[in-house]
Amino acid sequence: MQLGPAGGVRGRLGTAACLLLASGVAPARAAAPTPTPTQSPTPPKWQFEGSGLLYTEKKRASVIEPTGRITRFLSDGQILSATLGIDAITGASPTGAIPTTAIQTYTTPSGNVQTIPVGTVPTNKFKDARLSLDLGWEKPWGGWLTTTLGTHVSREKDYQSLGASGKLSLSFMHKLSTLTVGGGYNRDGVFPTGGTRAPLSDGTVIVGTGTNRKTVSTVLVGASRVLTRRWMIGVNATRTTERGYLTEPYKVISVVDSLAGDPTGDLLTENRPASRDRRDVLLSSVYHLDTGVLYASDRYYWDDWGIRSNTLDLRYRHELEEHRWIEPHARYYIQTRANFFRYFLLDGEPLPDYVSADSRLGPLQSLTLGGTFGFQVKDRPGEWAIRAEFLVQWGKAHPAEAFGNQVMTNMSPPVGVGSVVVLYTLKF
Amino acid sequence: MSPALPIDQPDAGGSSLSRVEDYYLGRFTAMAGPCQVLVETDDRAEAADLVRIAREEALRIERKFSRYRNDNIVHRINRSEGRPVPVDEETAHLLDYAATCFEISDGMFDVTSGVLRRAWTFDGGERVPSEALVRELLGRVGWGRVTWDGGALVLPAGMEIDFGGIGKEYAVDRAAGLAASRTGRAFLVNFGGDLFASGERRGGRPWGIGVDDPGRTGRATVMRIELVQGGLATTGDARRYVMWRGRRLGHVLDPRTGWPVEGAPRSVTVLAGTCVEAGTLSTLAYLQGPAAREFLEGQDIRFWVF
Repeated sequence: MQLGPAGGVRGRLGTAACLLLASGVAPARAAAPTPTPTQSPTPPKWQFEGSGLLYTEKKRASVIEPTGRITRFLSDGQILSATLGIDAITGASPTGAIPTTAIQTYTTPSGNVQTIPVGTVPTNKFKDARLSLDLGWEKPWGGWLTTTLGTHVSREKDYQSLGASGKLSLSFMHKLSTLTVGGGYNRDGVFPTGGTRAPLSDGTVIVGTGTNRKTVSTVLVGASRVLTRRWMIGVNATRTTERGYLTEPYKVISVVDSLAGDPTGDLLTENRPASRDRRDVLLSSVYHLDTGVLYASDRYYWDDWGIRSNTLDLRYRHELEEHRWIEPHARYYIQTRANFFRYFLLDGEPLPDYVSADSRLGPLQSLTLGGTFGFQVKDRPGEWAIRAEFLVQWGKAHPAEAFGNQVMTNMSPPVGVGSVVVLYTLKF
Repeated sequence: MSPALPIDQPDAGGSSLSRVEDYYLGRFTAMAGPCQVLVETDDRAEAADLVRIAREEALRIERKFSRYRNDNIVHRINRSEGRPVPVDEETAHLLDYAATCFEISDGMFDVTSGVLRRAWTFDGGERVPSEALVRELLGRVGWGRVTWDGGALVLPAGMEIDFGGIGKEYAVDRAAGLAASRTGRAFLVNFGGDLFASGERRGGRPWGIGVDDPGRTGRATVMRIELVQGGLATTGDARRYVMWRGRRLGHVLDPRTGWPVEGAPRSVTVLAGTCVEAGTLSTLAYLQGPAAREFLEGQDIRFWVF
C-alpha cells in the first residue's frame, strides 16, 4: 500500500496535530535573539550610548551586559570616548565531557515505565562578573591623516587583560579611498580558581597558584574605496599572534571504554599549544539603495591550529517614516576543527601532547537570524533600538570517530540562543 | 540495572514525588498505565504543582474519552444508534484529526476499528478468531461510513469509535502544554512510554530516554535516545501478541483485513514535534508491516526501528 508521496504524510500530520493541539495550550516553544552595535553619525558635542540585555534564552549561561559609552566631539575634529562594560555571568558551561548518556526515563511499546538515575554532569557551574573600561582618542591631522589610540583594561575573577592599540588612516583621491594600518598589544593574566591544574591529568595536581601569562599582538592592514555614489567596498587583513597560556583552565575531556564507547568516568584536563597564529581577511560592501543600506561581508579565517572558518554576514537597514528603521540581519558561520580536537580519549591510549574537547575548537556551524527596530519616542530626546536575534549552533551529531554506544548519541547537540537587547543613543 | 531507586513520598491526590539527582520525579497512574513527570527544578512545590496539573489533565482526558465509561461523549456517540450527536469543540478537534489520519493512511488508521479487538485476545497464546467473526466485525468498521460535518457526528448503529490510538499521546501534549504555560523549567512528561520533552536541561543537557528491548520489556534497554524537545512515541508488540502457525502477530490490527499487521518490526519509535504526531507516525509506520522502515525514511523524521 502507498501512503502518498514521501514526506507528504508528515507534513499533513504536522498541520493536523497543530490544529488539534491549538484548541487549548500547545507545547511551548520559544524563539528569540544577540548583542549590539550602535551607529554614531553626525557629531554634536556629546553623545551617550547605552545598551543592555533585556532577555536571553540561553540556558547555559545568562549574561547581563549593560554598557555605556560617552563620546566627546571637539571642534577641531578630535574625538574622545570612554566605554564602560559590566558583564554578570551565571550559569554553566560545557566542560568538554561527552554528552551524558544518563537515562532518566523509558519509552516502551508496552506502556511499562521505569526510572533509573545515573549521574553525569558535563558542565561547570559558574558565577562571574567582568568589568571593562576602554578609552579612545581620535585626531585628524589635516584632511588626509587620522590617528586613533586606544587602551583597554578588564578584570574578572580569574582573568585580567591590559591592552593598547593604535591606528593610522590615510585618505586620498578626495577621500574616495582610504588606507589603514594599525596594531595592538594585550597582556593578559589567567589565574584559575583553585590554582592551575596539571594538563592531561585528573585535575588533582596543582602545578601553580600564580598568574599564567598570555600575550596577544595584532597587526592590521585595510583599504576601502568608494566605487560609485552608492557603493563602497573594503578589504581588511589582520594577523594575530598569541603566546603563553592558551589552555582553558576548566575544560576537560572524557575517557571512554574502547569497546562500548561509554565514559569510564575519568575526565582529563585539556592541554593546548602555547602559541597560536591567527589570520583573517574580511571583504565588505556597503550599498546605498533609495530607502536603505545593504551591508554584506565575508570573513575568511585560518590559524596554525588547523581551524579554518568562514563568516557570511548580511544586514539591510531600511528607513521607515518618522525616524524609524528596521534592520534584518542574517549570519552564517562554519568552521573546521583544530587538529588536536578530540571528542574523547580511549581508555589506555597513549596521551597526546595536545588535546581539547572544547566544542568551540570542533567542527561547527551556526546561523544567526534577527533584526533591529529603531525608533524615537515623540517629544523625548534620543533614539532607541531593540534588537532581537536567535542563534543556533550545531556540530557533528555523529562524527566518524563515534563508536559503540556513542553511535546512538548526539555527540554535539545543537544549541539555540536567543536574546533581546535594547540600545539608546542620545546626542547633546 | 536499577541502582538506588528513589524512595517515593506519597502526595495527596494519588501521586508521589521524589527527588532524583537534580530533578523531581512525580509518578501516578492514569489511562491504565504508569505516568511520570520529571521537572528540573530545586523547588519542590513547583514540581508538585506541575505533577498535579499533568495528572489532572491525564485524568480529565481519560474520563472524557475513555471507551470504558458510560458517562462521556464517547459513550454517547457509541450508543447513538445512528442519531446525530452534537459534540464539543475538543471532541471535534480530535474527530478532525482522526479524519485526517484516515484519509492520509488510505484507511489504515481508523478510529472505528476498535470493535475488531473483540475478536482477538493478545495474551501470547494461540487463539485466532473465526473467519466469520472477523467478517462480521469488519462490517462494523469504516470511518468512510461515518458522517462528520465538524459539529455533529452520525455513527451508524453497531459501529463504535475509540480514541485509544491517539488519546494517550494527546494527553501527553496537553499536559506538556499546560505545564509549559506554567514554567520555563525543563520537564518531561511520560505517560506509559509516550513522551514529550520541553527543552534543554541545565547545562544544555538532554533528557535520556531508554528504549526497551521489545523482547525483554522492562528489563533490558535496547538503546538510549537523547531528547531535548519534542514528542516521542513507540508502537510495538512487546507483550500483546498471539502466536499463529509459528508466527508472532502483534496487537495492531489492520482495519481492512481485521487481522494483525504481519511482518512489522518488533518496535517502532518516532521523534516528532508533538507526541500526537510521533504516535500517529509510529502507528502508521507499524501498519506498513515490512515496509515500516521505508515509510519512515520518506518522512524526514528521526526514528528507531527494531
